[in-house]
Amino acid sequence: MNAIEVKNLKKSFGDLQAVDSVNFAAAQGEILSLLGPNGAGKSTAISMLAGLLVPDGGSATLMGHSVTADPQAAKASLGVVPQDIALYPDLSARENLVFWGKMYGLRGAALNQRVDKVLEIIGLSERQKDRIGKFSGGMKRRVNIGAALLHKPDVVIMDEPTVGIDPQSRRHILDNVKALNKQGMTVLYTTHYMEEAAELSDHIAIMDQGKVIAFGTHAELIKLVGEQTRIDLTLNTESTVIFDAWRNTQGVSRIDAENGTVTLLVDDSNLVLPRLFEAAAQANVRITSVDIQEPNLESVFLHLTGRALRD
Amino acid sequence: MTILDIALKDLLRSFRSAFAVGMMIIAPLFLVGLIYLSIGGGADSASSLPGINVGVVNADTISANSPLEHPLGDNIRSIFFDESVASWITANDYADETSARAALDTQEIGVAVIIPSAFSDSFFAGDDAVQILIISDPTLTFAPQITENMVRAVLDGAAGGGIAIQALIERQDVVDPAQLSFALETYSAWFINFQRDLFHNPAEAALVMVAPSADNETEAPLQKMLGLMTAGQMVFFAFFTGAYSMMSILRENEEGTLARMFTMPIQRTSILAGKFLAVFLSVLVQGIVLVVASHYAFGVNWGAPLPVLLALLGQVIAATGLGIFLISFVKTTQQAGPVLGGGLTALGMLGGLFTANIAMPEAFTMMANFTPQGWVIKTWKLVLAGQPLAELWYPFAVMLLVGVLMFAFGARNFGKRFV
Ligand SMILES: Nc1ncnc2c1ncn2[C@@H]1O[C@H](COP(=O)(O)OP(=O)(O)OP(=O)(O)O)[C@@H](O)[C@H]1O
Ligand SMILES: [Mg+2]
Repeated sequence: MNAIEVKNLKKSFGDLQAVDSVNFAAAQGEILSLLGPNGAGKSTAISMLAGLLVPDGGSATLMGHSVTADPQAAKASLGVVPQDIALYPDLSARENLVFWGKMYGLRGAALNQRVDKVLEIIGLSERQKDRIGKFSGGMKRRVNIGAALLHKPDVVIMDEPTVGIDPQSRRHILDNVKALNKQGMTVLYTTHYMEEAAELSDHIAIMDQGKVIAFGTHAELIKLVGEQTRIDLTLNTESTVIFDAWRNTQGVSRIDAENGTVTLLVDDSNLVLPRLFEAAAQANVRITSVDIQEPNLESVFLHLTGRALRD
Repeated sequence: MTILDIALKDLLRSFRSAFAVGMMIIAPLFLVGLIYLSIGGGADSASSLPGINVGVVNADTISANSPLEHPLGDNIRSIFFDESVASWITANDYADETSARAALDTQEIGVAVIIPSAFSDSFFAGDDAVQILIISDPTLTFAPQITENMVRAVLDGAAGGGIAIQALIERQDVVDPAQLSFALETYSAWFINFQRDLFHNPAEAALVMVAPSADNETEAPLQKMLGLMTAGQMVFFAFFTGAYSMMSILRENEEGTLARMFTMPIQRTSILAGKFLAVFLSVLVQGIVLVVASHYAFGVNWGAPLPVLLALLGQVIAATGLGIFLISFVKTTQQAGPVLGGGLTALGMLGGLFTANIAMPEAFTMMANFTPQGWVIKTWKLVLAGQPLAELWYPFAVMLLVGVLMFAFGARNFGKRFV
């Protein structure tokens, strides 16, 4: 049995098909990332898994429980970390966790032990009596995660848990995710940071405009771009005359220009770069900066959509 | 259990919020405090009224052919010795005017009531040469007035009885003097009983006393006024609290905590029930705090415990119902501002909350009946006037009905929206 199984899931808002026949699955004990730009439909897909939105079609199960037919059982096996902080700012970290624990049916000594444990996991035992309102963004994010772990769920869904925080808190969160996963929790992790997806995931589903446009392990996805390297260049001119020459250069498979940056996909940068400089010199164009990126998820996304993952 | 947890969490948040506590408890108490100071700090207030010491000289007798069985003087004397006033009037008999005056001089008594002999006969003969004399310690204001009023009440009763008998005689329905005497006794007994009801506490007695003319007001009616104004403030803020507490569901919707609850293995109806319970408990706690605090801080005399509880319960039900009803039409906390500010103030004015101590024109009083606030303040007026439980069931039933109906509508709206 897969811990998470999503089949042909659909949701539209008016004319907008926010989630369009989406399929993905995560085996038990796996980390699955949903990687996609803003508006890709990640949160919408997750909301249906969490029982917040009713799907227009398709099915979704958590630990074998249908989220529509048996929502209580599905929810009992699930912890959700919402994209935006969802805590009571006027209550302390501990009071928040105690309340959410009660909502999961925990009581008495078991509840207190679990709250202690979660405070330890998120590294906030020292600050447990302080009100959430006084916390930094990163600390809030950690409590936001802690609230989803109280009942030791089989599956945790995290919706962009590292958005807008300092590197230290981010590191802490990523390490937490890995540690929780080691203990057997299945994690569905959404992000638009490809480094996070690359670091954490067993499988990655790349989403764009409501669709899963690619699914596989990190290595499988990289293969999609054929091990190509990405080169970002800036020029001393806005003229595009040089593009035709470059496009015909041997080893260049693609060229795009956006916001003054020219992006090329090439087979081997060591061979291709001298040719690019040579063509530029001939056309009297100066290259003012060069950035070489070995194949990564960013280039996969670019390859599949023609757009950058980050806008 | 989950329902209670949600409600208690809401209460905790409310009582941690300076704004909520300010609007629920501090503001009404502060306003009552201002009123209290403006009417003289409740000096000589009803609750702290010193007892009145009355000396009675009853020399009244009746002639053999009088229709009365007992002299009127006996009735007057007995009203000061009645157990219904024993808590605040201490009465003593004196043999004659001289000994009573001596007792006044030594401040043994504050007021002396001297009923001359043959008073009854001359009273019924319409002869006002023979009069009851009320002498008092010149430093006292309240005691002599109330004493005079009590004497007058008995005499009015007797006079009324006299008029009734006169009418009977003229119609020649009753000719038997024995029957006449019986009718008169029955009438005056009824009247004295009626008065006794009014006199069960000094504030009541004072109110009766000044009701006809405004220019001899005393502290006790001011105390009465304080009670009415406090009730008005309390009712206004109770309704505010009802709507404000319900607003927390909009806030939770915006904070994302409502959505988080929805991801947890709890029925959505339980979540709503918890939010509703929080509103009820907030208004209840607020009402209890205000009633108790205004009593101890400003000497507001709310009256007997059971009627107070009934009025309070009605207030809580009505304010909870209206709060849930109103907020169920509001989408965001921003929209809720005008509803709380404007809507509740308008309803409060229509309901007569800010004019609770003033006699308003008929049309205005009628309008109040179309607001929940109007019924709540109406109930408090009855309670403050010392009305027994029996008089409160009707307005209570109205509050209950209105509250439950509004709750049902509001809950249905919320159900459509969130379940
Ligand atoms: N309640 C809603 N009503 C209307 N449109 C919505 C609603 N929720 C989401 N959308 C739209 O659906 C699309 C997908 O949104 P969604 O929040 O799922 O994206 P996302 O991948 O989570 O993006 P982000 O990275 O910005 O969080 C967007 O175009 C969004 O505007
Ligand atoms: Mg999102």
